[in-house]
Amino acid sequence: MPELPELNPVIHGKLRLALLSLLTGVEEAEFTWLRAKTGSTDGNLGAQLLKLEEAGYVAVEKKFVQRKPQTLYRMTEAGRQALTEYVQALKQLLGGAIGG
Amino acid sequence: MTANSEELELKDRLSLIETMIAEGRRGTESWGWTFVLWGVAYYFAIAWSTWGFGWSIWGHTAIAWPVTMIGASVLTMVMATRQRGRQPSTTIGRAISAIWIAMGISMFVLLLSLGLSGKYDQQLFVAVIAAMLGTTNAASSMILKWSEQFACAAVWWLAAVASCFGTVTQSSIVFLVAIFLCQIVFGGYAMVCEARRNKQGASHA
Repeated sequence: MPELPELNPVIHGKLRLALLSLLTGVEEAEFTWLRAKTGSTDGNLGAQLLKLEEAGYVAVEKKFVQRKPQTLYRMTEAGRQALTEYVQALKQLLGGAIGG
Repeated sequence: MTANSEELELKDRLSLIETMIAEGRRGTESWGWTFVLWGVAYYFAIAWSTWGFGWSIWGHTAIAWPVTMIGASVLTMVMATRQRGRQPSTTIGRAISAIWIAMGISMFVLLLSLGLSGKYDQQLFVAVIAAMLGTTNAASSMILKWSEQFACAAVWWLAAVASCFGTVTQSSIVFLVAIFLCQIVFGGYAMVCEARRNKQGASHA
């Protein structure tokens, strides 16, 4: 029986998975946009983004636009690779391993 | 956790990924207003260059087009910067912006040079503007797969051809009609589509 792949625990969290998936479609996104898209609270969103940042999956840029602070997040190459591997593992698990 | 509930959870994760990727790519930028703004700017420049409005500064009809175009460019940049601050940038959005900016610069440089060198011919002027707008609308519509915008490109191309073969009066009428259809009507339609799309709301994780 082939060995079942393990799911990356950093990505497996529902909100973190949603954030990474959202970031694949854009070049960079503002904190407020991510909050609106996920319907998450500021505290929870900040904590999950920090975990992704610590894992090297997202990069953060802070700047001022028209004297207002803006925090921009973008997916790193490592994040893209990790999400691809996660999806492959997920498909492998769903492809007959569970319940089989 | 049973094998069945685990499978359901994994399927739920897969569905979440698909939903969020689609949500991230869903365009939220609104550009319909730029078509209306530029349509009004063209009408304003035509009216100013034709009648001069009878006031002191407005009497300088030669500067009508460059001044109006610069004014409309500044207004577009200011409003676009304000809008971009709220929306994430996408590769498609950047590609379309690049096409329009490049076309705007080309048109400005060419028409200003034609005007300053005295090689001003109204029919040629209309044909150049219409052909450039046709090209840009077509490129943009192909990227967005938006047939209504491709119809605008076809109208501009027809206007370019008509301007070459028709009389000066016919060329002017064709230009005014093309502006109305491809800038005012299409811009209004795009604004309605954008408002409807943004109203649909966001999905939540």
